[in-house]
Amino acid sequence: MIQIVRNFFIALRQIAVGDKKYYAWVGFLSFLIILGASAYIGQLNRGLIITAMRDQVSWGFYISNFTFLVGVAAAAVLLVIPAYLYNFKPIKEIVLFGELLAISAISMCILFIMVDMGQPLRVWHILPVIGAMNFPASLLAWDVVVLNGYLAINSVIAFYVLYRLSIGKEYKMSVIGPLIILSIPWAVSIHTVTAFLYNGLPARPFWNASILAPRFLASAFCSGPAIMLILFQIIRKLSEVEIENKAIFKIAELIAYAMGINLFLLGAEVFKEFYSGSIHSDPIKYLYFGLHGHNNLVPWTWFASILNITAFFLFLFPKTRENFTTLNMACAFVITGVYIEKGMGLVIPGFIPDTLGEIYEYTPTMQEILITIGIWATGALLYTFLLKLAVPVYTGKLRFFSKAQMVTAGDIMSRRIITVSPDTSADEIAKLLVSRHLSKAAVIDQNNTFVGTVSEADIISLEVGQGADRKIADIMSAPAAPVKEDVKIQELGKILADRKVSSLFVVNKDNQPIGAVSGNDVLRALENIRQE
Amino acid sequence: MLKGAALGFAGLALPLDRANASFWEAFFQKHFREMNDAEIKKVISRLEKEYAEKYKKAITIGNEKPLPGVLYGYGLDLSRCIGCRRCVYGCVEENNQSLDPQIHWITVLRFKKGEKWVDLENAEKYYNPETVPQEDYFYMPVQCQQCENPPCVRACPTQATWKDPDGIVVIDYNWCIGCRYCMAACPYGARRFNWAAPTRPSEKINPNTHYLGNRPRYKGVVEKCTFCIQRTRHDPGRYPACVEACPVGARKFGNLLDPDSEMRYLIKHKRVFRLKEDLNTNPKFYYFFAYGN
Amino acid sequence: MKRSLVMCAAFLFICAFILHPSFAESAQQELPKKLFVTPPPFSEGIFPCSQCHAGMPVNRTPRKLEMMHQNIILKHMPGGWCFDCHNPDNRDTLRLANGKIIKFEESYNLCGQCHGTILREWKNGLHGKRTGYWNGEKQYYLCVSCHWPHDPPFKPIKPLPPPVSPSDIK
Repeated sequence: MIQIVRNFFIALRQIAVGDKKYYAWVGFLSFLIILGASAYIGQLNRGLIITAMRDQVSWGFYISNFTFLVGVAAAAVLLVIPAYLYNFKPIKEIVLFGELLAISAISMCILFIMVDMGQPLRVWHILPVIGAMNFPASLLAWDVVVLNGYLAINSVIAFYVLYRLSIGKEYKMSVIGPLIILSIPWAVSIHTVTAFLYNGLPARPFWNASILAPRFLASAFCSGPAIMLILFQIIRKLSEVEIENKAIFKIAELIAYAMGINLFLLGAEVFKEFYSGSIHSDPIKYLYFGLHGHNNLVPWTWFASILNITAFFLFLFPKTRENFTTLNMACAFVITGVYIEKGMGLVIPGFIPDTLGEIYEYTPTMQEILITIGIWATGALLYTFLLKLAVPVYTGKLRFFSKAQMVTAGDIMSRRIITVSPDTSADEIAKLLVSRHLSKAAVIDQNNTFVGTVSEADIISLEVGQGADRKIADIMSAPAAPVKEDVKIQELGKILADRKVSSLFVVNKDNQPIGAVSGNDVLRALENIRQE
Repeated sequence: MLKGAALGFAGLALPLDRANASFWEAFFQKHFREMNDAEIKKVISRLEKEYAEKYKKAITIGNEKPLPGVLYGYGLDLSRCIGCRRCVYGCVEENNQSLDPQIHWITVLRFKKGEKWVDLENAEKYYNPETVPQEDYFYMPVQCQQCENPPCVRACPTQATWKDPDGIVVIDYNWCIGCRYCMAACPYGARRFNWAAPTRPSEKINPNTHYLGNRPRYKGVVEKCTFCIQRTRHDPGRYPACVEACPVGARKFGNLLDPDSEMRYLIKHKRVFRLKEDLNTNPKFYYFFAYGN
Repeated sequence: MKRSLVMCAAFLFICAFILHPSFAESAQQELPKKLFVTPPPFSEGIFPCSQCHAGMPVNRTPRKLEMMHQNIILKHMPGGWCFDCHNPDNRDTLRLANGKIIKFEESYNLCGQCHGTILREWKNGLHGKRTGYWNGEKQYYLCVSCHWPHDPPFKPIKPLPPPVSPSDIK
C-alpha cells in the first residue's frame, strides 16, 4: 500500500519537474486555463446568456468543438487498424501515444458538454439507475454511454501498458488484445452515434441526411491522424522516443485516402442539395452563398473547402507527402479545414433558417471563446502530463521498483540498441549512430549472438576516407564483453567501474543483445530504491 | 477580462450561502414520475416555501393529475386571426414568463397573401404596423403542438420531458439538465430556454400554478406551452389563457375524445390541417379556415 | 257523445300544440341550459331606452336622425334604418322580421336572420369568442360584443409589441 503511495509521488514528481521549456509550456497552458475558468465562473453566475446562443440557434461553439474532438478521439485509436491488420510494425509502437491522445480528446469532449449544460450540477440525472437515462430512445444517452465506455477502454489499455513497462515487464497481449480489438468498432461507434445524434432529427433538414455518419468518419480519419502526425514529430524531437519516418508517411497516406472520401461525400452532398433545390437546401446555400443577405459563414466555408482540397493533393503525392515542410502545411490545412467544416460549418447551418423560418446569425462571444480555449488548454495540459509520464516509462528511464525485487540489468536497461552484421561498413555504422543518437553498436553474427562492439571512438580513430573500405572486424573492440540480463545492479555498478566504460550491452541467456545499460541507469535505479 | 475574472470569483460566493438543507434536498430530488404522492407533496411544500421567500407572496403549486377520458385538442381559425398578439401576452401573464430576458411561448407569424407560406420560409414575426390586420397579410400563431408522437420526448436524455395521458407534453423543471437537445428536435420552435435567471416582479406573479406548468422556472432549464395545465386540468376546467385572450375568437379548445366538443365539430366540418404533418409528429393543433373573408 | 268529446279534445290539443309559439319557432332555438351569454355591451347609462322613449311619440318615417343618436350612421344592410331591427313600440326590445319581439340578451337571433350560417357556427363554438370552462359553463360572447351592429366589420386594432430580436437579448 505504502508502495503505491510512494510510486504515486514518484510519478507526481516526474510530472512536476522538468526543464525551462517544460515550465514555460505548462505555465502558458495554466494561464489559458485560468482565463477560461474565470470566464466559466461568469457563465455559471449569469447563465448561458453570456454566449451568443439563443432559442433560434440553441447549440453553438461548444458543441462544434465537441463534435470535432469526438472525431479526433475516434481516429486516434483507428491507427490501430493498420498497425494490427497490416502488422505494420512502425505504427505498433506509437499506438500508445494515439490512445493517450484519445483520452485527452474525450476528456475535452466531456468538458465541452459540461460547459454547455444549463444545469451542470444535475448531470447525474443522465445516469442509468440513479438517474433516469432515456436509453435507448435518446441518442444523447447513447453518446454518454459510448463516450464514457471509450474513455474507460483507452484508459485501461494505456495505463495497463504503462504500468507493466514501468515495473520492467512486457505487457500481456492476452490481457489487452481483446480490449484493443474491441476499441476498433467502439471508435467507429463513438463517431457514428455522434452523427446519429444530429442525423435523427427530422426537424433539421440539414442534418437529417444519411450522408452525415459516413462524412463524420471520413473527416475524423483526416483530422485525428493529422494532429497525431504533428504531435509525433514533437514527441520524437523532445524525447528519445523513436518514430520512423516510414510510420509518419504511412499515416499521411491514409489521410490522403480519407480526405479523398471526405471530398467525394462533400461533392455528393453539394450535388443533391443544389441540384434538387428544394427549400431544404437553404442551409447549404447559407454556407456557400449566404441566405437572404446573411452571409457570415460564407468566407469560412470556402476557406475550409480550399484548405481541404489543397491538403488532399499535398497528402496524395508522395513528393509533397514525404517532404516535412509540405507535410506539416498539409496537416495544418486539414486540421483547420475539418475544424471549420465539422464544427461551426455543421452545427450552425442546422439552425439556419430555424424551424419557423427565422435567420439568426451566431458569432461566438469573447467569453465563449475564452472558455473554449481554456478547455483546449486543459486537454493539452492533460496530454502533456500523460506524455511526461509515458515517454520515460516507454523509453525505460522511469521505473518503479520494490525493495522485494532483486533488480537486475534486464530491469533497468534501455531496449534502444543498434545491431549490425560484421560486413557492415564503418560509414554505414556512423550514419546509424548519428541518426539514432547512440554511441555504440553491437555486432552480431547470423545467429544474432553477440560478437563485439563498435563505438564512436573506434570510427573516429580511422583515417579520413578509409571508412567505406574498413570492415568492422578490423575496428571492433572485443574486450567490452556484455553482461547477462540477470546480473544484479549492485554487481553491475562494480563491473562498469572496473572496466572503465560508461555503458555495456546486455545479452539474454542465448548471448543475443537485447539492450544496453549505463552507469546513469544504475544510479537512477538506486535512487528510486532508496526512496522507498 | 480582469473584470470578468473578478466577477467570476465573486460569483463563487453565491451557491455557498445556500448550503442549507434546502439546497441538498433540491440536489437529490428524484424524478417526478418516480416519486409517490407523499414525496411529491414534500417537494411541493419545499418549493412553495422557496417561492414565498423569493416573491414575498403565497404561491400554490398544484399537482392535478390528467383527467380520465380526456385528450386535449386545439383549433385555430386562420380566417379570423388578426395578428394582434393578445394571446402572446395573455399567456405571458398567466404563465409567469420571464420579462427580462423576454420569453414568449407563442409566436405569431405573418405571411403575405399570395406568396408561398406553408413551408414557413417567408414567415415574419417582428411585424409591427400601426394596426392589424393589414390588407395583404394573414397571421398564424404557433406554440407547442403537444404532439402525439413528440420528437422532443424521444430526444431528452434524462426523461425530463414526457407526454402525459391527456396529451400534454410536460417538463419537470427540477429534472431538466439544460442540454437543449429537445430544442434541436422540435420542428415547431416551440421550446424556450432560460439563458439567464428569469425575472418577473412579484406583483405580476400568478400565484395559482401547477408543478408541471406555470410555476416560476429557473435559469438553465427549458419551458414551453402546456395548454395552461393549471387551468385545464380541473373538472370543470377553464380554457387556456390564450383562448380567453383572443379578441376575435380564433382559438378553440376542447376534448378530442368527447364527440360533442367544439373540437370534434370543427374537425368534422372544417378542412383542418396541421403544421409539418409530413414529419409524423401527429400534433394536436388543428388549423382551419371557417366561413368568412 | 263521449266519442265526439274525445275527438274534440284531441283536435284542440293538437291545434294548441301546433300553434304553440315554441313549435313555430323551432328554427330559433333556445341555447342549452349550461351556456350563458355575456351581457349586452350597452353604452354607459343608455339602457333602459324607455327612460327617454316611454313618453315620446313614434315617428316611423325613415330619415336621418338629427336630435339624438345622430352619431349612429348605419353602415349595415344598405337601405335599412332603425326600425328594421329596433322595436318602435318598446325600445327596450328588438323586433325580428317576422314580428317577434326579443330581448337584447337574445340579439344573436336577430343577427342570425341573415347570418344563419354564422349563427350555426356560433352556437357550435366555431365562431366568436368563448370564455369559461371547456367542460362546463361557457360564456358565449354576444355578436354585438365584438361587432357593433351599426357598423359590424371588426375594426383593426393596434398590435401588441413584437418579440425582442435574439441579437438584442443580452
